[in-house]
Amino acid sequence: MGEIMEKILASAVEEKNEKEYDVLIIGGGIAGEEAALDLAEMGFKVLLVEKEPSIGGHMFLLSKVFPTLDCASCISTPRMAAVAHHPNITLMTYSEVKEIEKRGEGDFRVKILKKPRFVEESLCTGCAQCESACPVIVPKEYDFGLRGRKAAYIPFDTAVPKIAVIDIDHCIFCGQCEIACPVGAINFLQKPKIIKVKVGAIIIATGYKLFPIGRKKEYMFGKLANVITSMQMDRLLAPTRPYNAVLRPFDGKEPMNIAFVLCAGSRDRTVGNPLCSQVCCMYSIKQAQLLMGALPLADITIYYMDIRAFGKGFEEFYQQAKDMGVIFIKGRVAKIEPAENGDVVVYYEDIENGGRLKKAVHDLVVLSVGLLPNPDIAKAFKNVKLELDEYGWIKPKDENTNPVETSIPGVFAAGCIVGPKDIPDTVVEAAAAAAHVAAYLKEVRG
Amino acid sequence: MGAKGTRKRKLTVHILRDRLGLKPSKELIETLKKQNEIKNKIFKAIKDEAKTVPEIAKETGLDTTTVFWYLMTFYRHGLVEEVGKTDEGYFKYKLKR
Repeated sequence: MGEIMEKILASAVEEKNEKEYDVLIIGGGIAGEEAALDLAEMGFKVLLVEKEPSIGGHMFLLSKVFPTLDCASCISTPRMAAVAHHPNITLMTYSEVKEIEKRGEGDFRVKILKKPRFVEESLCTGCAQCESACPVIVPKEYDFGLRGRKAAYIPFDTAVPKIAVIDIDHCIFCGQCEIACPVGAINFLQKPKIIKVKVGAIIIATGYKLFPIGRKKEYMFGKLANVITSMQMDRLLAPTRPYNAVLRPFDGKEPMNIAFVLCAGSRDRTVGNPLCSQVCCMYSIKQAQLLMGALPLADITIYYMDIRAFGKGFEEFYQQAKDMGVIFIKGRVAKIEPAENGDVVVYYEDIENGGRLKKAVHDLVVLSVGLLPNPDIAKAFKNVKLELDEYGWIKPKDENTNPVETSIPGVFAAGCIVGPKDIPDTVVEAAAAAAHVAAYLKEVRG
Repeated sequence: MGAKGTRKRKLTVHILRDRLGLKPSKELIETLKKQNEIKNKIFKAIKDEAKTVPEIAKETGLDTTTVFWYLMTFYRHGLVEEVGKTDEGYFKYKLKR
């Protein structure tokens, strides 16, 4: 957030009326959506709060899911629409939970900051004429900087809600968006609000952050255009991709010799993240298989320490990648250096061939980045403490018998905020959290 | 301009700007100037003939990474179209009419 938005948010006024819901769900990714739908179907009134302008989390950004290779956005987009249209779910996007006070069992008082989009939600039709008129281009967050967006923009084609937002910190106050809007929806006088709610229970589903791989300086991310992250590769493979095909950012050429570097920013004490991120092996194998389909003549190499194919169908998925011709090399990549014409040299320890240091040239390198906790919400609890583990993930009350209950009775957690996990496990945990909320509310309300 | 006898409505963006004394940073203005220059150069290069990223870079004096980033931004905004591919694996792009 920039200086101008901060200045505007400082003028937020607290609303007098307090609204009441049965459950507050924080985070509109797949975990939050699933929990919201389960609880809403049981008849509970749910408030779902998402800090971004659209719900969807990380899942809708992915190409396909492993090991079934089902289309990720085909699964997540109907869920997003169902959440938005369910009569028992109230959706607040572009909003942040700032304060949570527990007054008793089944009684939480919450303050939520609703940030101004500078667009009237009830008027905007998502036509994107503001976007066409805006002259300012900035890197697009949803494509992880692979291309630009405007300062007035629709977050992405399948955003829910599909409402424009003005990035006030990159606005030059030219008014072109306001002039172009055919329905008069642009309103720069929209003010931030603090909304007060009373809820009976809370589910935290704020997910994870991607490891900032720029911290691993030897991998040259941000310095070499053809060193990208796995999330960027997933975007390149997705139907809503930023380019017209899978191409190298350096010069728009089709890559023919692609390398994956596993455990980039996980299982690595030198960067402060010793944990395995659990999903990197499988999403890299997924991407390798998809690349074999998109670029049949390309060579795909995966540099790995161990392949952790532990879930149902995972080992078969791994073997399938080998059968398709993906090359697996056991060895940690030590460093990456530039070569000619945007190519990249990878230095690695070839463990299965005597542990010698070797190097190989690739025309695109994908860093399979790990996951980090996203525990900012812990600061919002005022008179009760949300326990985190030593790495910052939410510490369940009992890892084995009660993995979704937190240290605070009435506050539950689901998905990657508890620890790295894949989508099916996240959905199961969301359903478990919803069931626990229902049981808790029945108990405290009698 | 509004109907005869009515005053032109002041845009809300200008009311906010004046009320809070907001102005875009110098860096943002410089970036925007540079962006316009890049846009004009790329559009001029592909106005009449479809070209690859290295060809556009050579003609405009920009680096290939910059050309490709802006080209894809314009492509996704519907201003540029792809027209075939070379044997070297480069797409050719042209300005949409």
